[in-house]
Amino acid sequence: MESDEELVRRTLSEGSHHFGVLIQRYADYLFGLGMRLTSGNKELAEDISQQAFMRSFTYLKSFNSQKKFKHWLTGIAVNCYKDLIQKESQYLSLNIKDEPNYTPHLEGNTDFFNLIKPLNEDEKVLFTLKYVYEYQVNEIADLLNQKLGTVKSKLSRAVEKLT
Amino acid sequence: MNQLETILEKEKRTSYPQRKKELFRFYIITLINQEQASRKFKRKLWIWLLLITAGLFLLLSPISEMMNYLILNLKNIDTVDIFIMAAVSYGFLFVLMVLLKKRIAILS
Repeated sequence: MESDEELVRRTLSEGSHHFGVLIQRYADYLFGLGMRLTSGNKELAEDISQQAFMRSFTYLKSFNSQKKFKHWLTGIAVNCYKDLIQKESQYLSLNIKDEPNYTPHLEGNTDFFNLIKPLNEDEKVLFTLKYVYEYQVNEIADLLNQKLGTVKSKLSRAVEKLT
Repeated sequence: MNQLETILEKEKRTSYPQRKKELFRFYIITLINQEQASRKFKRKLWIWLLLITAGLFLLLSPISEMMNYLILNLKNIDTVDIFIMAAVSYGFLFVLMVLLKKRIAILS
């Protein structure tokens, strides 16, 4: 099996079809991450996954092969999640009277979704990455481009909220 | 705390498979190719715009020169000078077009 870094290299030199293998490899992972961050909103989770793959392809040249592709992709997916949430909130803030109500398709482990409900977007991301995906705090700080101290304090605040 | 751990353990075991993965992959690759094609098209469009602008500029400048010359020196028109001026301008335009065509061929 070809490594992620090798596939990135081949995508850049030979074309986008090699990127298909990476999509196949990480589709479940990104969809799962999206589902967890959006509390089971299937449509949003798919949007996040799609946007993350598109954006990662656009910025593939800037990928540092010293780092793990999965971590880099996770960072991009988190940014896509934040952007989409921002767009969604802008849309919801509009007072559109004649538009039909949008009902998201929710599914998954509702216990977990209810658990992280009191957390804000940032805390949801950090909590999910740390306690579901078991990333190290320094890895989270690295992939989200945040300071280690900031991540630690936000995480402890999140845990405090939930206990 | 125990309840929190139970929920987290349950969540770790939960999987969320992307539906129709093969189709999803195909869709993303199509979108990527579409975006690349659109970027290439925009680049070509800019080059053609530049080419047309430069062409028009070169095409019109000898005409205005000729008009000025005709207006000012209607009595003794030196047609040889006008032809030389036009030949130089159109020659320059031709070289420019060839160069830009070559550049477009490299980009595509």
